Amino acid sequence: MSFDLPLIAEALPKMLMGIGLTFQLLVLSAILGLALAIGVMLMRISGKWYLSWLAQVYIYVFRGTPILVQIFIVYYGFPQLDFIREGFLWPIFRDPFGCAIVALTLNTGAYVSEILRGGVLGVDRGVLEAGEALGLSKSQRFIYLTTPIASRLALPAYGNDIISLLKSTALASTITLADMTGIARTIVAQTYAPYEIFISLAIVYMIVTFFLQKLLGRVERYLGRYTIREG
Amino acid sequence: MEVLSGWWDDFFWGSVVVAQVFLASLVLMVIFGLIGAAAKLSDSRFAQKIANGYTIVFRGTPEILVILLLYFGSAITLTAIAQLFNPEIKFLDVPPFWAGTIAIALIVGSYATETFRGAFLGVKPGSIEAAQALGMSTLQVFVYVRVPEMWRLALPAFGNHMLSLIKDTALISIIGLNETLFVAKQAIGTTGKPFTMYIVVGLIYLGFSTVITLTVMGLERYGHRHMRAAT
Repeated sequence: MSFDLPLIAEALPKMLMGIGLTFQLLVLSAILGLALAIGVMLMRISGKWYLSWLAQVYIYVFRGTPILVQIFIVYYGFPQLDFIREGFLWPIFRDPFGCAIVALTLNTGAYVSEILRGGVLGVDRGVLEAGEALGLSKSQRFIYLTTPIASRLALPAYGNDIISLLKSTALASTITLADMTGIARTIVAQTYAPYEIFISLAIVYMIVTFFLQKLLGRVERYLGRYTIREG
Repeated sequence: MEVLSGWWDDFFWGSVVVAQVFLASLVLMVIFGLIGAAAKLSDSRFAQKIANGYTIVFRGTPEILVILLLYFGSAITLTAIAQLFNPEIKFLDVPPFWAGTIAIALIVGSYATETFRGAFLGVKPGSIEAAQALGMSTLQVFVYVRVPEMWRLALPAFGNHMLSLIKDTALISIIGLNETLFVAKQAIGTTGKPFTMYIVVGLIYLGFSTVITLTVMGLERYGHRHMRAAT
């Protein structure tokens, strides 16, 4: 048993062909998930018990079950239901890419809404009182005071969620998608060289994670540009 | 519901496997996390480097990749070793149970490393000094002061690690462990009802998550029992 370097040189470009799909899954579900999370978070803090209750049930279900099960329910499970197959959304659920996006969005939305709620609850009351004293309306206070401060507070945890979302995209390979992991699994099935293929792919993921963290660090510095640095 | 008749006991045994994997990986995860935290807090540069490498690798790689690598990697290594003694052997693997358990324990252990490290750093120096002033040995300080104070700080994050473990058990079905997701796949093969079966799996996991969440809440209350007056 030896480490087959030529094989890596041959397999790596093939695996990198899947990086586009990995990024598509990541970016699309991150954007849709953030939109969903904002909606759910607003429901949660709306003060209306039925909206808050609905949001809590959603969060509880999607945080309490494995993402793989969620992906399987959407991809394999939904076609069992007639109203899905006859509904106008069928083109999305027929397609593994659409299913992966739906499952990843729903999953990340549940986590991110709690992160955002933490940020909103972390906003200093004094700031809001100051806004009230200045005569800002409730929605003005939310837009001009709560939103910028809460997004700064939530960003570190949100960054971690983006990293886990990247790792979750690898599960799209279980529903026939040829993302980087999907391609790697096909190559391993052909060559039976798990060490070479999987380790080099792991390094690719680590590099992507590294750059994502750099990028998030930049955003964090940008959002925190008004805060006074300690020391 | 009648499609489920005949499958209840299979799902039950699948759940037992989930519980077994969870408990085994929980023990390993705590061990990996404590070793990692000890290494990061030690004075040895070498140990710190190794521990840093461990957390970077396992937090930056998709879970499914770690599981596949450990299972298929160990299988070809074992087969190669076995063939030295007996060339007749075609394939030998580490049971998916253990390959998967070790894989998820390594992954979540890398997160636990950071949790434990932070919690040990959060122990108040005053408590340690007080214990030393009372003439306690280093070991006594560790057992009676550091650990009781540290686990209270670690508990909220540790609860999340336990939830990650239980959800990661679903991924082990990919390498053929006969847990609930695997049972569902077989049940779908005969009944043709994927939605029903995967929903059952989801509910089983939701049950496990609920039990863990409630346990952690109870433990937190127990950990803070003598601090109640303060809150």
